[in-house]
Amino acid sequence: MNARPKNTILVSPVGDLDLDSEFLHELCDKISEIFGCECEIMPLLKEIDFARDPVRDQHHSTLLLERLSALAPHRVLKVLAITTVDLFIPVLTYVYGEAQLGGKSSIISTYRLQETHSAKVTPATYQCRILKEAIHELGHTFGLRHCPNESCIMHYCRKIQDVDRKSTELCRYCKVLLSDEMKRLASE
Amino acid sequence: MGTARILIVDDELIVRESLGGWLERDGHEVDTAQSGEEALEKMKDTRFDILLVDIKMEGMSGLDLLKAVKETDPDVAVVMITAYGSISTAIEAMKNGAYEYLLKPFDPNELGVLIEKIIEHQAQALETQFLREQYKERSRFESMIGQSRALQEIFSLIEDIAPTESTVLITGETGTGKGLAAKAIHSKSPRHEGPFVVVNCGAFPEHLLESELFGYQKGAFTDAKTTKKGRLELAHGGTLFLDEIGEISMRMQIDLLRVLEDRVFYRLGGTQPIEADFRVIAATNKNLEKAIKEGSFREDFYYRLNVISFSMPPLRDHKEDIPLLAEHFLHRFARETNKPVDQISREAMDEMMLYEWPGNVRELENAIERAVVVCKGRKIMPKDLPIFQPEYAALPSDKSLKEVERAHLISVLNENEWNIAKSAKVLGIDRSTLYNKIKRHNISRPS
Repeated sequence: MNARPKNTILVSPVGDLDLDSEFLHELCDKISEIFGCECEIMPLLKEIDFARDPVRDQHHSTLLLERLSALAPHRVLKVLAITTVDLFIPVLTYVYGEAQLGGKSSIISTYRLQETHSAKVTPATYQCRILKEAIHELGHTFGLRHCPNESCIMHYCRKIQDVDRKSTELCRYCKVLLSDEMKRLASE
Repeated sequence: MGTARILIVDDELIVRESLGGWLERDGHEVDTAQSGEEALEKMKDTRFDILLVDIKMEGMSGLDLLKAVKETDPDVAVVMITAYGSISTAIEAMKNGAYEYLLKPFDPNELGVLIEKIIEHQAQALETQFLREQYKERSRFESMIGQSRALQEIFSLIEDIAPTESTVLITGETGTGKGLAAKAIHSKSPRHEGPFVVVNCGAFPEHLLESELFGYQKGAFTDAKTTKKGRLELAHGGTLFLDEIGEISMRMQIDLLRVLEDRVFYRLGGTQPIEADFRVIAATNKNLEKAIKEGSFREDFYYRLNVISFSMPPLRDHKEDIPLLAEHFLHRFARETNKPVDQISREAMDEMMLYEWPGNVRELENAIERAVVVCKGRKIMPKDLPIFQPEYAALPSDKSLKEVERAHLISVLNENEWNIAKSAKVLGIDRSTLYNKIKRHNISRPS
């Protein structure tokens, strides 16, 4: 008999977040709607000092992803971690987030999502940015790459204005590619 | 946004992995090497568009790697990655042909913009080359020629499938005449009075291919000053020939599959459905079944294309057609160049029969064209043929296909002063195939 397919996406807060639990549940609902999976909230990382670079005063996201994948319970299909610390990968000054392409884990940082290009960023805008980045990074774990369609959530944004401009949905191409990946996962 | 094949060369594993991951998420095909030596080894089998090279590495330095790469493949864009203290070396690298250097750590946008600029630049160069070749192809269009059993079977198959409306997939090596077979199917079909529209899918970057195929409405994007019909629309009532179909992106496969299923399409920025009234013939020299397994070609699209399929035989499998083809090309080029050449010597013909013609009919055509130009009398002699240059003749003992091909490649490259584009054209193969062959045969440029 086949083992029960993994069908849970874990939203995993790292440390204290400036987000209320109502928002995290909204995020879970959106994740379930887009990826067709159950979504749970569960912290996995107790401390992240191992990934901190003292010279740059930033955290190395690739190391965090490796640890998340190792700690994720077996029944979990994908993990999305959310942190407030600034993330980097070597040679790049910073990243908004990182994901294992077609792999298990992804992480986003809220550190630079407070950036404002006009007036003070409103809580609604801030939360919308987090939601977009979260879906975007999770999309990578399902094998989706950056999309040239500027309104697609998988579009890579060079500026925070571009994040605000893109929608919270996948374009039709990315929907087809996601559905292919879902079929592949179901047949595994 | 285009995608590129990128090789990251860095002796630090963490840099290779994290930068590689970042670029893969951006849609690029990425490979890594931990040393200059490993990079050169990988480049023997794979052609990369961009190399990201750390200047300071154990063993072969980034600068030495740059020099070695530029010798064999000057079209590859090499971007040097350097620490603050090594700027003078980076400037030295620029003098040696590096495309750009990046000071680490760099802003992710800086890298993204640079890669886009390189892709755009390389696409423009490719397009210019394609337009030149297309012009040449147009002026040379011929019907298919051959009396061999292999070609007679193809002719008979074409007679059978031409009257149907089925989609056709033609496979075969470069230069075997897949385009001519497609044209022949169109000419014998009930659609022969309609247009025969060719799209070389490998010659356009993705965003250009989209507007080229689907057309666009005025205002669909910044440069869309007027409404333009795409090739799907221009093929109305006729045949659409999608050459090099194995080169198109996943997104374009999704779009074309939808057109083939729904038989309607929209111009970019358009809202009115346009009827897709054309027959599709596609061709490729790629193994699409392998591409499906590798995940670069959609299975559903493949089955939609592969309703009827056949393979064009390589010239080495129907050598009995060489005399007829050679005579045909001889008369055509003699007429075009206004030269009184009207015979091929027995010796030249014998040698042509012995040669394996890796570039197939197109290579034979180019060889005869060259022979007509350099021939001093009325008769083509072995020395007039490019395959009988000194390097080739210096191989009397080993006539294996591999050695003959190697010698011929050296001959053509030397003759064209190692200009890859020119040499590829003479050989009747594309540049990436030539690069692969240079690497596979371990041929290096004489110092």
